[in-house]
Amino acid sequence: MRKFSLILIIVFITLTLPACASNNDNAPVQAVENYLNALVEKDANRLTALVCGEWEEEALIELDSFQAVTARLEGVACEQTGTDGATALVLCNGNIVASYNNEDQQLDLSVRTYQVVEEGGDWLVCGTR
Amino acid sequence: MGLIQIGASILIGLLIGALTRERRTLRIYLLLACSVLAVYWFQPALPLRSFDFWLPSLSLALTILTWLVTSPAGAWRLGPNFIGLSIIVGLATLVDLSRYVLPDPVLTATTPPQFFQYCIFLLVVGIILSFFGWSPPRRLWTISAVIILLIVILIILKTPALSLQTSILFRTVANRPIESASFTDLRWLGFSYIAFRLIHVLRDKQTGHLPELSLPEFGTYVVFFPALAAGPIDRAERFTQDLRKDFSLTQDETLLAGQRIFLGLFKKFVIADTLAIIALNDALATQVRTMGWMWIVVYAYAFQIYFDFSGYTDIAIGIARLVGIKLPENFAAPYTRPNLTQFWNSWHMSLTQWFRSYFFNPFNRWMRGLKHIPAWVMIFMGQAATMLLIGLWHGITVNFILWGLWHGIGLFLQNRWSEFIRTRYSNLGQDARLRILLQIGSILITFHFVALGWVFFALSDPSLSWQVFRKLFGM
Repeated sequence: MRKFSLILIIVFITLTLPACASNNDNAPVQAVENYLNALVEKDANRLTALVCGEWEEEALIELDSFQAVTARLEGVACEQTGTDGATALVLCNGNIVASYNNEDQQLDLSVRTYQVVEEGGDWLVCGTR
Repeated sequence: MGLIQIGASILIGLLIGALTRERRTLRIYLLLACSVLAVYWFQPALPLRSFDFWLPSLSLALTILTWLVTSPAGAWRLGPNFIGLSIIVGLATLVDLSRYVLPDPVLTATTPPQFFQYCIFLLVVGIILSFFGWSPPRRLWTISAVIILLIVILIILKTPALSLQTSILFRTVANRPIESASFTDLRWLGFSYIAFRLIHVLRDKQTGHLPELSLPEFGTYVVFFPALAAGPIDRAERFTQDLRKDFSLTQDETLLAGQRIFLGLFKKFVIADTLAIIALNDALATQVRTMGWMWIVVYAYAFQIYFDFSGYTDIAIGIARLVGIKLPENFAAPYTRPNLTQFWNSWHMSLTQWFRSYFFNPFNRWMRGLKHIPAWVMIFMGQAATMLLIGLWHGITVNFILWGLWHGIGLFLQNRWSEFIRTRYSNLGQDARLRILLQIGSILITFHFVALGWVFFALSDPSLSWQVFRKLFGM
């Protein structure tokens, strides 16, 4: 029993320490990529969890615009281009391909920059510019 | 459960079955560990941030709480219980910590919450568990309190207006727009089944029927991964009997389990999903114009719901068999039954047995104690109240109430009719041909009564149901 408790404590510490020291640099980019994936998968619940409160309704409207089509990501690569105060700015290259009746329409992602903010330790998409 | 989750469950079942030959304790610990992870993995994403982590965590906390109040004081310190507690808390912690290690969430639908938030949750749960668990003189009172807590949560989740208000409350606290709030925001996977297993255990403890269970046995029983999403609702003492048996996964057992899983997959993903295209729903209720098509749509729903639900049950029973657990049957050809009583003895059997044990029988005993109540009133009250509660278990809406009453009144009328026939026409069954005709007629009448009842069950609004009835009967 004592041995089991000791193993448990060691495992816990081993896992907790790297967690505390985890690298968070790429988090805004990851947040935008997750957002785009949820968007093309039309997963409203996941999308809502990935955006800030102020942007939630706009994000859901954007998702609604894909309801009638099949959407997929094509060659998407995002990078953080800078910051504006506490807001991280993320630009993505690539397209969202929306297909309807075997006809593809390419939506260029590079025409807008995503604003990403940190709320309660999570990076959330919070608008575009 | 989607196909990927079913596939993974089959694989895990096979692995546990093959790896734990005759090693009972290891099998229990592995089943508990996999079930704890499944509680998180099966929970779909929710619009409230991190709720796909918090709700499964609460399921586990309620499981531990129920075990604590039904076990002797200090039982958690015993070896197996301490290991069980460590498995549950350790894995929940691992799931949360995975947010720092994995780039994308794997065990949860969205990224788990910050570690410090999880630590606060652990602290609060720990304090509550200490309060409930370490006070033996209050034990009987605490059991009732936990039952009330579970019923209150069920009522909130099952009442659209209360769910919506709860969602608005959480959204306000989290500074999210309340305009997007919906009563579906709190879809707590498997909670209806978890709550009923917990209430069964608590009631059996109160009546002195509950055998002593270790935390690993208890936890595995409550959140057993094959039966987590759609039952069946097993009994704790029966489940643990299987768990305590030595088990070796033989070739024959694997084959039988495989056949059952295949049958379930075929029922669910081929038959039910195909029928779903033309099965009754809110949109079709308004779109279908002709009487003939409306009957087809209603028949399609009747068979779709049967194949969907019994398919899931077959899959659960098959996977459970791989790990040596023989889950109870939930369906026994319900649409071939000649009367409504027999239909309810063969439809969602584990739920009806639960209601029989914990509501119908005690309620009838209580009514028998009251003087001057005619027998027919007692029969009506018992059947109507039980069916009403079964309706409410599916959701506290007008349509589920109507569905419950439809069956309650149907059962009462069938009871009175059977009594009438038995006393006056007892020689009817002597002619073989007439007997067959009566049997076929009874099956058809029962099936149509049940199918018409689905018109309430399938639709969201009584006015829509009324529209469908009018079309069905050319009114």
